[in-house]
Amino acid sequence: MPISRRDLLKGAASGGLLLASGVPAHATMSTTLPPNAVGFLYDATLCVGCKSCVVNCKIKNCEPGGALYQEGMKKPPYETKGPGNTGQWDETQELSGKTLSVIKVYKNGTCQTKDAEVNGFAFFKQQCMHCITPACASVCPGGAFRKDPDNGSVYYIASKCIGCRYCQLACPFGLPRYEWDAAWPEVRKCQHCRHITKKGGMTACAEFCPTGATVFGKVTDLREEAKRRLALKPGDEYQFPIQTVHSPNRQLRKVAKYVAKVYGLTEVGGTQNILLSGVSFEHLGFRPYLKNQALPELTWHYIAKIPWVFAGVFIGGTAIYKITHRNRKEGEQP
Amino acid sequence: METDAFNAVSQKLGGVSRRDFIKFCTVLAASLGLPLGAGEKIAEAVVAARRPPVIWLSFQECTGCVESLLRSSHPTLEHLILDLISLDYSETLSAAAGHQVEAAKAASIEQNKGKFILVVDGAIPTKDKGIYCKIGGKTALEILNETAPHAAAIIAMGSCASWGGVAAAGSNPTEAKGIVELLPGKKVVTIPGCPPNPYNLLSTVLYFLTFNKLPDLDAKGRPKFAYGRIIHESCERRPHFDAGRFATQFGDDMHRLGGCLYKLGCKGPETYANCSSVLFGETGAGTWPVGVGHPCFGCTEKGVGFHTSLYTLANVQSLTPPVFFSEAFPNTPGVSGGIKSMAMGASGLVVGAAGAAVLTGMGKKDEGEPPQGPEKKGPGAQHKEG
Amino acid sequence: MMDLTKYIGPTYNDFVQKLLDDRQTKYLGIKLITPFTLVLVALIAAAVVVALYRLAFGIGAASNLSDAWPWGLWISFDVLGGVCMAAGGFLIAGAVYICGLEKYHCVARAAILNAFFGYLLAAISICMDIGRSVVIWKALISSQINSIMFIVAIHVVLYTSTLATESSPMFFEKVGWDGARHKVSRCMVGVALFGVLLSLLHQSSLGAVYLIAPGKLSQIWYSQWIPYCFLLSAIMLGLSMVSFETILTGKVWNHPPPRDVLSGLGRGTLIAGVLYLALKIYILLDTPGLVGMVFDGSFLGNLYLLEMAVGVVIPIGLLSLKSVRNNIHRLFAVDIMVVAGVLLNRLNVGIFGVQEFATRSGGDYFPSAMEWILTLGMIAFAILGFKLCAKYLNLFPQHH
Repeated sequence: MPISRRDLLKGAASGGLLLASGVPAHATMSTTLPPNAVGFLYDATLCVGCKSCVVNCKIKNCEPGGALYQEGMKKPPYETKGPGNTGQWDETQELSGKTLSVIKVYKNGTCQTKDAEVNGFAFFKQQCMHCITPACASVCPGGAFRKDPDNGSVYYIASKCIGCRYCQLACPFGLPRYEWDAAWPEVRKCQHCRHITKKGGMTACAEFCPTGATVFGKVTDLREEAKRRLALKPGDEYQFPIQTVHSPNRQLRKVAKYVAKVYGLTEVGGTQNILLSGVSFEHLGFRPYLKNQALPELTWHYIAKIPWVFAGVFIGGTAIYKITHRNRKEGEQP
Repeated sequence: METDAFNAVSQKLGGVSRRDFIKFCTVLAASLGLPLGAGEKIAEAVVAARRPPVIWLSFQECTGCVESLLRSSHPTLEHLILDLISLDYSETLSAAAGHQVEAAKAASIEQNKGKFILVVDGAIPTKDKGIYCKIGGKTALEILNETAPHAAAIIAMGSCASWGGVAAAGSNPTEAKGIVELLPGKKVVTIPGCPPNPYNLLSTVLYFLTFNKLPDLDAKGRPKFAYGRIIHESCERRPHFDAGRFATQFGDDMHRLGGCLYKLGCKGPETYANCSSVLFGETGAGTWPVGVGHPCFGCTEKGVGFHTSLYTLANVQSLTPPVFFSEAFPNTPGVSGGIKSMAMGASGLVVGAAGAAVLTGMGKKDEGEPPQGPEKKGPGAQHKEG
Repeated sequence: MMDLTKYIGPTYNDFVQKLLDDRQTKYLGIKLITPFTLVLVALIAAAVVVALYRLAFGIGAASNLSDAWPWGLWISFDVLGGVCMAAGGFLIAGAVYICGLEKYHCVARAAILNAFFGYLLAAISICMDIGRSVVIWKALISSQINSIMFIVAIHVVLYTSTLATESSPMFFEKVGWDGARHKVSRCMVGVALFGVLLSLLHQSSLGAVYLIAPGKLSQIWYSQWIPYCFLLSAIMLGLSMVSFETILTGKVWNHPPPRDVLSGLGRGTLIAGVLYLALKIYILLDTPGLVGMVFDGSFLGNLYLLEMAVGVVIPIGLLSLKSVRNNIHRLFAVDIMVVAGVLLNRLNVGIFGVQEFATRSGGDYFPSAMEWILTLGMIAFAILGFKLCAKYLNLFPQHH
């Protein structure tokens, strides 16, 4: 049966349509820092584990426009899964669909000395790292995760989400969390308090951190601040800023012994939230095998080949058909 | 405690009733952290016949420590204490003055060598051989060195005597020092504070009288029952610290609501004292600095009080124990239970299916004949995918 | 057969009568009410209940999935497994309509229908697995070309429509809509070409889904070649499934399986298997340390060895023997092994492969009872659907 002109056109048209839908890649694929990229610097040596950031992150994100906001909510969502917890208080132990940021601890031996790797302990603030080339935004089929082209925060549009949880698989740090118990679930993660920062404010965690462990600011400034701290010797006195990196409010403290690395400068292509720590980052859960390459590039290598497959199959298939059917008669039924 | 023994001294005790007296001793025992029966023991020690003398030396002090002592609650306490411990010398409280009181002091020391309790308040200047504090023509340093060797127990009352206090603040022009530094090798009990809660001293003294030894002291000579914990651990505003409710300015909303004063410079997190538990003045809740809305400035702590700026953030000493947080990286090795079961099951099915297939299928002969029987179900029916 | 004219009118009655006319397939001897069918119906009913429960109360209530293990049985088995088992459809359609290999014509209808049910199974399972099932269409209009899942979604939708189109002639033939049938027949070649294209792309795209997770998916399965591994194993499995179904329908129904077709399928499976094994060996040698990882007796290493042995190595060895390719019982055994092995591969990639990452983060997973029920119900639906179509549609038009 000859390939009819009609279905050749049909095939070519649909193929062409798919090729033409090659809209220019979003900011999701860009590997450069946006012009006004913001984030925060978390210095684990300054953190005292007071969890003020955890509490206030939840409170602020329950305001209209916040990541936890739902119409008609009377109070922030509490973690109630612990034994004996009747829901009267919030037991944040882990990130979840109700908790966007959490303080965890690294423990070793007798846990006597702060920021010591052996027989010590250290605090760790876990939340979305706001990667420069976020894997979550690039894999989302609905386009629910977007990277703001101006300040680079990776935010979530619930109305576009279909709940496939590919973002959970894609994130190298395992940070997006899901509302498993909801009938109409959302994916939840830190969004840099978008409803506040877009108006020029700072993130809740930075605003309420009493010791300046979390400072908010432009990523370029944060990187400089981190490098400055690493250049100091342990025991030197330094005026640590509180809340924002250029804040006039400072506290004079002795510099602790840092691990000689700023986490987030190059890992998975770089992240906007960067960290300093007194214990090795592996102990905080950052896997050492993470490459310095943006993850979406790995998939793009494959996707870029798709138009060629289209072309190849069409041309090749038509050729094979012509060759095998040169002696065929018309009218045979499938 | 025998009724006769008590009655014999009840007049001296200012006519206090037996019940009130036992109550007082029980309160003191409680502040020492002693078990319930100890109150009686203390009461017995108090009414015992022989009471050791106390020499109270005052140097670079503001008299606040003595004043604090006078603010212990019971109205007849002055009588009790003065009689109890036979205060043989006190610049503030002695009736005598001048050469008379100095002579009385010398006589008491001579008489009670090796038995008296020496209490010192105020720091001692050491610059220019200590001429910046002289009493009765002698420098403070000389007086201390004359008296201390003969004492049965030495107690430094207040921060000034413990480590220099306000006298040693700033540039320390007189090179003031606490008595611990000036008595190397001697065991000195320090009761730092500016002023300390009077019961810290009272309880220590009564403990010594009752049990004939000093209470447990820490590395700085401070009795552990009073200075074993930082204020932050027992502070009434601690939940606000943990929940991030901080006052950022005096008089702001959070300050009015009683929020944590950490951001205003409260040194509670690095100061060892019992102010947050025992308070001051026994006039009810909230009678201590933080309770009335001013951050603690670390008056007991050398290097904090009178040294660090009032509004600098404290270094939190004792952090919430790591048991209350989840682990950053559990790093659990091996294979988790559910997955192991599932993998075992899946592998079992695969091996079973393969094995069954091979055993039933491989041996059969088929020379192109149609299969036997129309309705035979195949062995792999459960794996059939439609 | 009941006369429903007084309920639905003469035209509809005519339509229904034609549809339910099973005289043409009486020779197959298919009995509808059997114990097995009742079991299938029970499973389907239970699955419907579970599906409604899941829609009402959320995924957390119906499954044991968690943040540490967001994808589990439904994705790995129903979706990945279902799609690769349906690969036979495009291969046979391509063979018949593009390459002109007419001898496979007699299995074409069954293979395409099987593929259609396989994709329905996968599509319904995806709808159940995602949290917001009713807005699944949003994934199709978002033009997120960075996302493999967007591409897979579009392909699956287009391909299911393609399969429906390819399956429609037998339906039209049954109800006598010859005009429609003729129109479809004229486009068949183009549709088949389109189907081949779509299938090649999304079979490999399902593997490409895991390209984004280099640290999470164990190195044993992760490589830049994972899309091609998925494609080749799908081809292997697709051909084996066609062979398996043909032999199975031959055993249970009165329908002699065409031997040259089967030995041809066996050869096809052999070629695909050899290519697949070659690729896997290349990956093993190209990645430093990987050979050690696979053979060191670890949990994941052993799963890999099992999957390769049962699904690839032993079948290749057996299929290379003519005595196996010409003996339908032996072919049947080999087909079962390939099916088991490749399905294990999909489970390995989807569930077990992320074990190290997830366990170290403190996670665990074992499918809940409801997950099993839904999976089994979906399989039962596919089997029962095929059985109904075999009874009421002319699936096997030519005797060999």
